[in-house]
Amino acid sequence: MMDVKRLISKIERNYIKSNLLKEERIDERGLWEYRDFKIRSDIISSAEGSADVSLGDTRIITGLKYEVGEPFPDIPDEGVCTVMAELLPVASPLFERGPPDEQSIELARVVDRGIRHADCVQTKKLCIKENEAVYILFVDLYVINYGGNLIDAGGVSALTTLISAHIPEGKIEDGALEWTGNYITGETIINELPLVMTYGKIDEIVFLDPSLPEELVSDGKLSISVTENKITSIQKSGAATFSFDEIKMLCKKSLELGKNLRKEFDLWQYKYKPTI
Amino acid sequence: MPLVIKDEYPKKLFRDDGKRLDGRDVDELRPIKMEVGVIKNADGSAYLEWGNNKIFAAVYGPREVHPHHLSKPDRGILRVFYRMATFSVFDRKRPAPGRREKEISMIIADCLEPVLFLELYPGTCFEVFIEVMDADGGTRCASTTVAALALADAGIPMKSLVSSVAVGKIDGKKIVDLSGIEDKAGEADLPCAITWYNEEISLLQFDGDMNLDEMNEFLKLIKESLEKIHQIQLNTLKSKYLELKEESAKKEESKAKKGEN
Repeated sequence: MMDVKRLISKIERNYIKSNLLKEERIDERGLWEYRDFKIRSDIISSAEGSADVSLGDTRIITGLKYEVGEPFPDIPDEGVCTVMAELLPVASPLFERGPPDEQSIELARVVDRGIRHADCVQTKKLCIKENEAVYILFVDLYVINYGGNLIDAGGVSALTTLISAHIPEGKIEDGALEWTGNYITGETIINELPLVMTYGKIDEIVFLDPSLPEELVSDGKLSISVTENKITSIQKSGAATFSFDEIKMLCKKSLELGKNLRKEFDLWQYKYKPTI
Repeated sequence: MPLVIKDEYPKKLFRDDGKRLDGRDVDELRPIKMEVGVIKNADGSAYLEWGNNKIFAAVYGPREVHPHHLSKPDRGILRVFYRMATFSVFDRKRPAPGRREKEISMIIADCLEPVLFLELYPGTCFEVFIEVMDADGGTRCASTTVAALALADAGIPMKSLVSSVAVGKIDGKKIVDLSGIEDKAGEADLPCAITWYNEEISLLQFDGDMNLDEMNEFLKLIKESLEKIHQIQLNTLKSKYLELKEESAKKEESKAKKGEN
């Protein structure tokens, strides 16, 4: 396996490409195979939910925090869930310090849209009192090591974090916010489990889960979020173009892969278990 | 609006049996776990769990300085960036670095610089990124400790390691390694770091009140704890090479077996 951190030489580029043309990959995967996922949940004691997800060399730690705020006037009985992502400078020499750049905003937004349009977070369950107080959830993704395909790892990480959620349940009594002594858990607020699948494209070849060297030589990527039987969000990025047939094929593939992954991950096992 | 649960701490910080709330003796450290080489892309990296603190450190360098005007023609520079994750604390921290993070970054850089041979690397910089994922008191000491480990893991020439711990005072009793609650509720907090090549103090801050005798006692208390931490750091670095040795031995073995067949 190539040890690529930053630059990729022409020879390496041609090597990756010629292998892909033979339907082989430099890490000996099939074209439609993921690298190994590793998932751990509830690892951050200060957070109201958290996950540590690895996909090959890519590693993302995600935490959930909440605030209580006023609802938007047009949805007075619904809370809000936002996703933020930071490509930490620890994770790669390609990442710099400073405010979020295009790549981290894209990661946050694609993960956010995958969740938002999938009937995943039940925002009505995040209401404390109509017109007055709702929960605002912050799902913050921190990339610890960049090994390619941040979006798929980020999607699983955000979802696992929400499933592991345990937010103190509030009530408003005599105008003051109080704790009922109970927690709102992931089981209450999460319905559908959307998963996002990213495909790389080099010339005419399309493949699942680009690793870092593959991502660096790809012309572009297509990310498709799916629930059990629906496509809920798509993002094409990079300078590649995809044919109509390719898009049809990848949508079908995503629904199939999604079914298998959902079974394999069994994400509900990561729901909050109170320590006694 | 406030959070549902208030960030309150108990008035009493000692149990009836004289131990601290987490069951520790006054001079007992929290459980410490260290690991090196955890971030594959970095030139050197380390991970530390110190009680509930969870901290990553990664080193990049020597590399070009950006912005260029910061570079020095006669020596390298060391830059440290200490950051806390938004979810590492009770109230969600704002994502942008605040004044506290910038000050701690500077303090840690000043603390680590003496052990490096920066004069050997003119025009370049070493960058140490410290990411606190979970915080529970004493993160600046833990960060200094793990940053030193990451520098060593990067193979950068160093005069020695640097170890750090805080001591403090609660109800007049001197305690070692303050937890988050003890830090907020205690009467005094004295973070301190040592550079082992000359056994001198390289990081020192203090908030609270104490008299001269207490200061002397504090310094004695610190030395004992720092030695324990130093030992864990050394063992962590050694264990990486022991693992590599085992791995290569296994490889040799399987090669030899293949040869026989």
